[in-house]
Amino acid sequence: MTDTILKLDGVVKEFAGFRAVGGPEGLSFGVRRGGFLGLIGPNGAGKSTTFNLISGVMPPTRGSVTLDGAEISQLSTAGTAALGLGRTFQTPRAFGSLSIIDNVMVGLAHPEEGPLAAMLGRWKPAERQFLGRAEAALERVGLAGRRHDSVSNLSGGELRMLEVARQLVREPRILLLDEPTAGVDPALQGKLSEILAGLHAAGTTLIVVEHNLGFLMSLADSVVVLQNGALLAEGTPDDIRRDPAVIAAYLGADHEA
Amino acid sequence: MIQSLILSTLMFGAMFSVLTVSLNLQYARGGMINFGTVAYFAAGAYAYAIFTQEPPSGLDQYAFGFDMPWWAGFLAAGAAAMLFALITGWPTLRLRGEYLALTTFAFAEVFHSILLNERRIGNGSVGMANVERPDPAAIGLGDTLGYTLAACALMLLTAWLFHRLLASPYGRLVDATRDDEIAAESVGKDTARVRLQIFVISAIPIGFAGALYAMITTLVAPALFSAEVTFFVWIALALGGERTILGAILGTMALVFFQELVRVIPFETVRGAQIAASAEEVITGILFILVLRWQPWDRLSRKAGS
Repeated sequence: MTDTILKLDGVVKEFAGFRAVGGPEGLSFGVRRGGFLGLIGPNGAGKSTTFNLISGVMPPTRGSVTLDGAEISQLSTAGTAALGLGRTFQTPRAFGSLSIIDNVMVGLAHPEEGPLAAMLGRWKPAERQFLGRAEAALERVGLAGRRHDSVSNLSGGELRMLEVARQLVREPRILLLDEPTAGVDPALQGKLSEILAGLHAAGTTLIVVEHNLGFLMSLADSVVVLQNGALLAEGTPDDIRRDPAVIAAYLGADHEA
Repeated sequence: MIQSLILSTLMFGAMFSVLTVSLNLQYARGGMINFGTVAYFAAGAYAYAIFTQEPPSGLDQYAFGFDMPWWAGFLAAGAAAMLFALITGWPTLRLRGEYLALTTFAFAEVFHSILLNERRIGNGSVGMANVERPDPAAIGLGDTLGYTLAACALMLLTAWLFHRLLASPYGRLVDATRDDEIAAESVGKDTARVRLQIFVISAIPIGFAGALYAMITTLVAPALFSAEVTFFVWIALALGGERTILGAILGTMALVFFQELVRVIPFETVRGAQIAASAEEVITGILFILVLRWQPWDRLSRKAGS
């Protein structure tokens, strides 16, 4: 019996009658605690929608999502985040009016973040300590030299790394990354791979949507393949590479196993 | 004449600056368009009048007058504006952009209509006259000077508190909420709460300013609290550049100065005064269009930035 941290059971999401996620029977799969799950599938398979359902951006039409046995499918994004879930977005999201270091600082659960503490000036001691944590996170993603820069000067790949840094400072128990290598140059990809391997080794559960299979398959210990919103295959990276259904639907016939 | 021009500009400029500084917080930092500003101002003024007025007698149609000291009325004004912001903000803040603008505008119109038609609140269209107020002579000041200083003190205190509020992790959270709510939610921030907090916090000084306005004019009546007040403070905010607290204050001062300037000219005829008053409105409108079209403050700040 493996220890499952996140479990989807019969999850269905419909938009105006169109079933984006679920297929005929609803989508069900589990994620092992401390595991590294790759979520792959053709464009439009429902990968990002599945992330949105898990993280509370939208509720499922039917079915349940449980985190450590507790139902989270009706929670808001802030609600799931408070339970230790973190996520990045397919289109990277940044706070445009804040500096790069402040973009990361927002990720921290500042104990004196309320309006009263602000007016009384009670936030200063904690701020100094948090600044160090944010700087360390920027260091890890290779943006330390640009901490006071504006986010509008960052490239698409750098924005992704900034989003990762904002989640890293929170130390989430379970981290969902949506196409983290898209638009990221090979050097930064190497850095990202190192970060993810480090998180994995430290016990963080990871779920990663990715089209860059070379990157993903070297890191993941299990893979879920979606097609048309339904589960097509589930197994170790080696099983998936050899699965004829996956080759036909996603990898392509000339894929080298 | 010059002295009275400066004093009345400072008095009304500082008082309306409280409104523009609050709008600056709501709009430029909170990202919420409130086109019902006058309602919070009126709530403060009426609360002040009701708390300080003597109980109704004779021809009075209002139902409540608590005959309390001015400071109690002043505190009630802030509380009334805060309460009104809670009531109007809670159901509407899920709306975005122009939808929120329309809803807040509608709330203010409904409130105005209630003040006009429900005479038990404040005598209907007649309003409440001879509003109680502290006499500045008690501390050896002239009337105008005393209230000018009070208005300036309220403005500076509001600006200072809002500056402190925003130069903090909370300010960062407010900016993040405005920039991208979903991203802020994804790191566990309750953005709905932040928006309501900003909406309510910025309404409180508007209520205090309403009380001050009631003291200065010694009258509260629906005619004083029409949508024109809302448009006036929005124009002042746009004139001064909505990004900074200082810009909000300077824009308000400039607009009030312009109005007061027309008022002090000793006109020979009624006709002359009417023409001047109309010309002042036309010129205000043209100024507004020019500022919106060429955005001089944006250019200045870009120059300063580069």
